[in-house]
Formats: sequence, C-alpha cells, structure tokens
Amino acid sequence: MPEGTLCNKKTVNTVEELHALLADKSGKVYYDEMNSLEIDRAALKATLQKTCKSRIRTWLEICAHCGMCADSCFFYMANNRDPRQVPSYKIQSTLGQIVKRNGDVDNAFMQMVMDTAWGKCTCCNRCGMYCPFGIDMGIMFGYLRGLCFSQGFVPWELKIGSGMHRIYQAQMDVTSEDWVDTCQWMAEENEEDWPGLEIPVDKENADIMYTVNAREPKHYPEDLAEAAILFHLAGENWTVPSVGWEETSLAMFAGDWDACRIQVQSVYDAMERLKPKRMVVTECGHAYRATVIEGPYWAGLKSGKTPVPSFHYVEWVAEALRTGKLKIDPAKRIKEPVTYQDSCNYIRNAGLKECAREIMSYIAEDFREMSPCKEHNFCCGGGGGMNGLGRYREQRNIGLKVKRDQILATGAKLVISPCHNCWDAIRDMEEIYHVGIRWSFLKPILLKMVIVPDHLKPDE
Amino acid sequence: MPEVDFQGSKFVVDEDGFIDSYENWSEGWVQYVKTQEGIDELNEEHRKVITMLREYYEKNGIAPMVRVLSKVTGFKLKHIYELFPSGPGKGACKMAGLPKPTGCV
Repeated sequence: MPEGTLCNKKTVNTVEELHALLADKSGKVYYDEMNSLEIDRAALKATLQKTCKSRIRTWLEICAHCGMCADSCFFYMANNRDPRQVPSYKIQSTLGQIVKRNGDVDNAFMQMVMDTAWGKCTCCNRCGMYCPFGIDMGIMFGYLRGLCFSQGFVPWELKIGSGMHRIYQAQMDVTSEDWVDTCQWMAEENEEDWPGLEIPVDKENADIMYTVNAREPKHYPEDLAEAAILFHLAGENWTVPSVGWEETSLAMFAGDWDACRIQVQSVYDAMERLKPKRMVVTECGHAYRATVIEGPYWAGLKSGKTPVPSFHYVEWVAEALRTGKLKIDPAKRIKEPVTYQDSCNYIRNAGLKECAREIMSYIAEDFREMSPCKEHNFCCGGGGGMNGLGRYREQRNIGLKVKRDQILATGAKLVISPCHNCWDAIRDMEEIYHVGIRWSFLKPILLKMVIVPDHLKPDE
Repeated sequence: MPEVDFQGSKFVVDEDGFIDSYENWSEGWVQYVKTQEGIDELNEEHRKVITMLREYYEKNGIAPMVRVLSKVTGFKLKHIYELFPSGPGKGACKMAGLPKPTGCV
C-alpha cells in the first residue's frame, strides 16, 4: 500500500518526523505524495462500524433536504448562494457517501472530502441551530475530519499541529522549561512598572490555575504579561502549571483524537496535581471548547466535567468587574462606537453571551451589536483551523466578506475580539480588504482603563 | 504561487505573502518587506534581529520563541515591537525570509 514519507497514515511522534514536515515549505511534497495515497478500505470500514453510531447515522438518514440550513452558512452566503455550499449537501456528499458505500471510496474522492471538511466548513455549528431536526453538521464534520485523518488525508499544517501536541503537549515547540522561562522573563520585564508583579509557577491550592494558548509564550508573550498584571491588580491568588499549561488543540481541528486525549489529559493532570479552586483559560475560543466542553469525554471522565470548575477569561473579567476586583475609570471608557465578535466556541457552543455584554456595559459607552449576534453570530471566517491552512486561503478570504460586512454595518471601527482565532481573522480581513477596522483582545483594553490601587503604583 | 515585483526584482510568495523559499531571500526582499510593514528606516537593530532569526532557522528549521530572540539580541519585548510593529512572529519572520509559523499565529 503506497505511503508517502511525509503524507501517510502514521501520526507524527518524533522531532525528526516533525522537522521533515516543517522543511517541506507549504507542504509541496506532502500534497504531491497525497495523490498516490491509497485508501485502507478495510480499516475505514472497521472504523465506521466501531465509531459511526446511531446519532450520526440517524442524522444522515432523516435530513429532509429542506435547505433550511443554507442561509445559516456564511460560506453559502459569501459564495453567491452556491448550492455546493449548502451544509446538508456538503455533509451528504462526503460523510453520507462514505457511510452509504461503507468505506469503498478512492483517492480522488477522499481529497474532495478533505477539501470540503477543512475548506468549506469551520465547524462553527451555526447550521445546527437552524435545522428543523436539530441535525448538527459541525459535529458531523468534526467526525469526518477524524476519518480523513486516520487515512492520511489531512492538511499539511494540521499534520504538523497534531504532531506538536503529541511531542510537546502544545501546538508549538514550547517545552516546559521554555514556558517557565518566559513566565519569569515577563514578570521581570514588567516589575518596574508593576512592583511586586509575579507569575507564580506550580503553586498548590491557588484560587485560580491559569492556562494559555502556546502562541502566547512562542510569539506573543505580552498577552501573558497582561494577564499577570490584571490578576495582580485584582488581588488574585493564582498560578500557572509548569506542565499542562497549554489549553488549545490543533489535534481537535486535525481530527487526531488520540492526540486530543493526550493534550487535554496534561491539563487535567495539572489540575489534579496543583488542586486549584478553579481554572481560567486565556482569551481563546477553541481552547475552551477543547478543554472544557469536549475534553472530559476525550479523557473518559464520566461526569463530563473537568476535574476542577473551568472558566473562560470573559467569565473571570465579568466577575472581576461585577465584584469590584477590577474597577474602571469612567473617564477612560471607550467613547467611540465599538462592537464585539462573539466567538462560536464559547458563545454559541458554551452559552457565555451575557458575560460579554456585561463586560461591554462596563468598558464601552457606545456598544453596537452585530446583526446577527450572540449565539446567532456568524463565524469570524477563520475558525476550525482554517486561518492556518494555506491550501484554503482563497476560500477563507472569500468567507471573510460576511464578517467584514457585519462589522461595517455596525458603524464601529473597533472590534473587541476575545478569541485568538477571531482576532487573527479580523486582522487578516483588514490586511486584505483595507476597511479601516481595528481589533483588540480585552486585556490591553482593560489595562488602559483600570484604576490602579495606590499601594500597587510604582514609587515616584 | 503569486509573484511580486519590487524595484526590478521578482519574488515568488506564498498565499500569506511570505517568500517561497528561504534560499531566495535577498537584500531586495528585506527592502520590499520594509515597505510592506511600514518601517521607515532599517537600522542595525533590525539587522541584528534578522540575522538572529536566520541563524536560528538554519540550525533548527523553525522560528525561535520571542524569549530566545530577546536573550540573543538583548532587546526587551517592547523594543522588538518598536522595531517590528506587526510582531516578531509575523513581520520579523517575513523580513528574514522564514516561512510563516504554523499553528494559530
């Protein structure tokens, strides 16, 4: 059975394998090899038998092809209502066919499936809200990605991403030593402005165990410093784990379920080891979904809950503002029109819409809702891993038009975006369409307007 | 892949505007990215960052963490952002001819 050296059915488990993939710029060799990749039909059939249970089979069968899901999909809207972008069509023509043919599919078909599962769907789950039968195509596409991954049909960047999780328990090559060093560095660099600032590592029984996205220590460490300063100002008893600090899961986007379990277990082990009262995750949507919503099932936790109660950053901010742990200087509130990007992963899929509104009521004088908003909001356009996939850049950029028009219709030029993925998508949208929009996480905005207690101010 | 023309030189770039190959990097590319990134004047400090990124990439096949960049150059994080406003993972890597970092960047 032909297998490429880079594109194959094996998972990436060593640094050498990872570097071989990284050296293949843009996955040129990888995608060439994919053209010769054979399907292991027996394995695919066995996987279907074992994992494609009644819920998915029922969903596939009861779809009435009514088309109610069509307008719910931003790809359908952005592509001039192309019928090939109707969610029910996209899933019936891929997973539906694999099930119907009981795995008897060929290479060209599987490449089409891959290009649909990653290039025409961000697993935002919006269509599921509009299906009269409650069929959730986002869930099915997630499952379909797993089938693709098991056969080696996964975008190059996500093969790398899931390999990173397997090797480093992080989506990037950041070791525990690198992470702890970065925490110390950020505390030191900011100590002058914030006397007594600390990033406590491995403190047991803290009130909060804080976890992040690996991109923060790797490329954007200021995010970690900002989180530390805000916890410091709020007087929180907090810590970060030296191991199990990474909450994201490119493995989830890749459909590498084993790597999902490995990754999330590292965070749960940190919870068990440090015994914090609760866990708070940074401003990341999919990290929250992976670790708090889906993770307990990957880890086999029968309760369906994380070992300690887990919160998204917006929940902590809303609470800190409500209880007065963080106080806003009214003169410094945002005066200009400002809107809020509801992240699919913690708003639609976890119900945190009111936290976002509560925060905006404290920090903004002219908050403008997008239309639609809250759980009905459209995906930023780059979710589900799509922002990072070069093969689908053109499709992503077309999809961004829906979010662009939604933002412009609010009249606001500033978008608060407490999700890395949404933040990146809006940044890229501005680079591509030049519409004069600015974007920000909550942390830098809060730091500009929070009242600093006298005892925490630096000596003159 | 798309091509860009800059002052008589042609560069092939990927879908995110990063140069197609590390080997094709040149001074002309640096000048091109400088205009893209809105950097007025390239000084010795910009050069130091670029050199460090290229040396690290040659050895490790991947971009370094910002912490490593700061240690080797001696620049504080704030200063790295002053040099490269779009950030070390994006603008600086692009100028140094590295590929766009994979993952959520």
